[in-house]
Amino acid sequence: MLKNWLQIFLHHIKNNKLFTSLNILGLSIGIAGLIFATLYWNDEQSYNAWNPENEHVFQVINDVGEGNIWNTNPAPLNAFLKSTFSELESHCYLNTWYFNEIIEYNGRKELIDRILDSQNTFFSFFPFEFIKGNAETALQDNTSIALSETTAKRIFKDEDPLGKQVLYSGRNLVVRGIYKLNKKSSYAPKVVTNLIHKRLDQNKDLWGNYNFGLLLKLKNPSESEHVSKKIENLFIEHKTKNDAKNAGLTLEEYIEKYGPAKVILEPLKTARLHSIMDGYPEGKGNYQFLLIMVGLSILILILSIVNYVNLATANAIKRAKEVGVRKIIGASKVNIIKQFIFETILLGCFSILLALVIVELSLPYYNNFLNKELLMNGSQFYLQLIAIFITVIIVAGILPSIYVSNFETLKVLKGNFGRSKSGVWLRNGMLILQFAIASFFIIGSYIVYQQVDYMNTKKLGFVGKQVLSINFRRTNDEQTLLRYYTIKQELLKMKGVKSVSTGVFTFGEGARSSSSFSYNDISIQGENMAVDFEMLDMMKIKIAEGRNLSPNFSSDTINTMLINKTTAKMMKEPNPIGKEINWNDNKLKIVGIVEDFHIYGPQIEIPPMVFFHMKTIDWMMYNMNEVYVKIEPENMKETIANLEEFWTTKVDTKYPFSYDFVDKKFARTYETYVKQKDLFSLLNIVVIIIALFGLFALATYSIERRMKEIAIRKTLGAETQTLLKELSKQYIIFCVIGFLIALFPAYYLLQKWLENFAFRISISIIPFTIGFVVLAILTLIVVLSRAYEATRVDVLTYLKYE
Amino acid sequence: MIKIENLSKIFRTEEVETKALNDISFQIKQGDFVSVMGPSGSGKSTLLNIVGLLDSVSNGSYQLFGKEMVGLKEKDRAKVRKQNIGFVFQNFNLIDELSVFANIELPLIYNNVSSSERKKRVIKIAERLNISHRLKHFPQQLSGGQQQRVAVARALINDPKIILADEPTGNLDSKNGNEVMELLTDLHANGATILMVTHSNYDASFSQKTILMKDGMILSEKLNQRNIDILVNN
Ligand SMILES: Nc1ncnc2c1ncn2[C@@H]1O[C@H](COP(=O)(O)OP(=O)(O)O)[C@@H](O)[C@H]1O
Ligand SMILES: [Mg+2]
Repeated sequence: MLKNWLQIFLHHIKNNKLFTSLNILGLSIGIAGLIFATLYWNDEQSYNAWNPENEHVFQVINDVGEGNIWNTNPAPLNAFLKSTFSELESHCYLNTWYFNEIIEYNGRKELIDRILDSQNTFFSFFPFEFIKGNAETALQDNTSIALSETTAKRIFKDEDPLGKQVLYSGRNLVVRGIYKLNKKSSYAPKVVTNLIHKRLDQNKDLWGNYNFGLLLKLKNPSESEHVSKKIENLFIEHKTKNDAKNAGLTLEEYIEKYGPAKVILEPLKTARLHSIMDGYPEGKGNYQFLLIMVGLSILILILSIVNYVNLATANAIKRAKEVGVRKIIGASKVNIIKQFIFETILLGCFSILLALVIVELSLPYYNNFLNKELLMNGSQFYLQLIAIFITVIIVAGILPSIYVSNFETLKVLKGNFGRSKSGVWLRNGMLILQFAIASFFIIGSYIVYQQVDYMNTKKLGFVGKQVLSINFRRTNDEQTLLRYYTIKQELLKMKGVKSVSTGVFTFGEGARSSSSFSYNDISIQGENMAVDFEMLDMMKIKIAEGRNLSPNFSSDTINTMLINKTTAKMMKEPNPIGKEINWNDNKLKIVGIVEDFHIYGPQIEIPPMVFFHMKTIDWMMYNMNEVYVKIEPENMKETIANLEEFWTTKVDTKYPFSYDFVDKKFARTYETYVKQKDLFSLLNIVVIIIALFGLFALATYSIERRMKEIAIRKTLGAETQTLLKELSKQYIIFCVIGFLIALFPAYYLLQKWLENFAFRISISIIPFTIGFVVLAILTLIVVLSRAYEATRVDVLTYLKYE
Repeated sequence: MIKIENLSKIFRTEEVETKALNDISFQIKQGDFVSVMGPSGSGKSTLLNIVGLLDSVSNGSYQLFGKEMVGLKEKDRAKVRKQNIGFVFQNFNLIDELSVFANIELPLIYNNVSSSERKKRVIKIAERLNISHRLKHFPQQLSGGQQQRVAVARALINDPKIILADEPTGNLDSKNGNEVMELLTDLHANGATILMVTHSNYDASFSQKTILMKDGMILSEKLNQRNIDILVNN
């Protein structure tokens, strides 16, 4: 029986090479899309999935009010967690970021990134597999250091690292453990040190310094509510009460006014995709983007399956006689269904193989696009592949085969089945669905394009061209500012350097600190934008009112400040210039208002900002991590090479020179949306191609079926034009219906997507108009070309036939 | 073997009702060779389709081997059909995409006959019908007479109890038509039961009995002399 089926199958693909291959291609593109989404999905879902503690480990997040949610905690909790929390198995203070530092062994220096400083409980929270040493002793004291396997290889080559001493940041540390870093984890440090205690001690009474990451391991995960309440109470007892007293309010009044400080315990298990913040050093997955990927790929798969079903049923009419004969001879319905499913399985096999080839070939681009290293392997992936295969076979195979098996034998044998209307509603319904999906993509990609274009061309309020931000490794002493001035002097002497300045903020990432101050009882949490004089001019940031800070006023390094427009608005002060503000017990006079500019991405609200000179607030220099240098556009390469030469010989001989162009770095803040735009555009093309091909094939079939009718009409005198109209009318109607179906989902989902942006376009009629016109024109081109060919055909061949 | 009593078949379409068969009764015994004649539209094919269990009955009774066929489900009808009935059509109804061999063996496949057994039987019947050298060809490469012989071979491969032939010579020239008629006569002589629709008096004369139909009714049944001759000769 299989041989017999195979014979027929091969015969048909031989005779319909073009349609078969296009059909397989369409299906494989759809499957490939789903495979891509699956790989991405698996990667994101695998984060922390391996970790047996993932349900017991919680990150402590503080909601301190006014939209400030921090993943950091003050140190004094440490003592309480140890003594009074019987609900906890253990806790772990650690950094929420990585250092990169030089580790020296035997005079050999290696600059290592992803270095974590943590309490010694770290490896019980993230139980990586130890190759040498063990989790208990790896961080036994503050002279211990644990290395990942590859890092150990880098530093020690073939030597056994265990027990050896390395030089790290001026300290001698002993290697006490080597672990394997082969799992997706929210903490995946290459090196772990246990030096955090010194800082914890320094902070041990400072309830207001939120400096440390904190993880808790609960004995019973269901007690997380209770534990967070308990911590909140500690905050009220030790922090809020004092704050209230200092503000001259009762506790109740204070809480009423500033809101209660809330503590949120977030389980590690769901942190990667569902955390309310980006709280771990390995970052948070983009759940929305993941859903978009999965959603779009499913849509495309549906589209290609619809295509398949359509072609299969249209094609089946050609095979009506075969089916009829088979049934008379003794084939049961089930048997016919089996035969057609068998064919779908074969085509499905080809498609999935082709899909795997497509994925394999384009995986590097996809990885580049996602910044990931996805691979096609793992038993989970193969199981999913099988599941995808089976689903495709069932969905694509069953409809056409049931349709075929229901052919009425007698009608078929009488020979007039070829023009029967059977199955037309099914095909038309599918066609409408295709039109709807295509409309959705055209409209959607146009709106996404509009929004990204809007961000690209949006006035940012500053000009980052030709400005380099150079990484400045400061030493923690008072010399920082002096050193900066020396460097500045030297740099300004260099050819091609236009100006040099500094500030304690990064374009795209915001200021390094923010402080709250009150004005007429209005509390404002302003970004602390300490600058050197030239900074605002260098970035072409405009002064709206008053004046810029200037070396000509000696007060400008003592007690003056600027505010941005947003701050001025929040202060509700019609004339802020000349007003004095109590900023952290410094009386600062406002001398100017700065025009608003973006400091985070263009999609994010502009925060209130206060500006003062670096010298005005002396601790600001500890936040200084960058030197900004504006260079001439000519000979940039040479200038940068000179800068590097200067920097690595005079400024910092230990660390490599690292810099970024301010405009490029800023553009990276909304890179993910640019990528989404590119993705949407690419998929849009794929979708349109698949849909048009489906339309082409279907129009061909349905016009073929009407050939006799066309021939008769022609002999009766119908003109080509009327015939064309007659033939294409229905497709335009389907196009309209499909478009109408897509209208609401497109509007709704894209509106949701736009909510990501504080500054966004409003959805206009234009994307819809363009979507419809494009779709209608493409439809007409395809259908009319088919119809026109039909009207030119020799009348006699079709009339003689019967 | 076949017993039909007061059988009616009405086709209902949106506007019209056609009484294709009107209160028909007749019998066919094992080993009979019966032909059905009548003007176009008189219900011959409808009758054959009903006997062949391809179509349902509106009224009356149809017994095959003493079992009532009216009211049987499609699935059961298909089962009875594939075990007992072989069809030969005017337009052959071979599957163009399959070779002659594959066409002939098809009924055996659906009756779950093993592949070696299938091969044996196809070769045997091909020899008998003189198409052995054509087994690898495709239907379109054969003459009409050869195609019809392939169709007959396919109808016979399963050793059906009855052969139903609807104008088997309708699409053939007289030479090829004669070949097919001789083949049927030969089969009959070897004991096959045959019910054949035809327009040709000459073809009908090969059968033992001719049923004459008009407007869905049986006008007359007459015995044919020639068949008796053959019987005597045998
Ligand atoms: N599927 C059908 N639907 C409606 N009417 C039919 C159908 N099949 C046959 N008829 C009608 O039944 C009558 C008998 O047809 P048929 O048995 O094919 O005649 P014959 O084979 O004797 O030429 C005709 O009037 C024909 O129009
Ligand atoms: Mg007929």
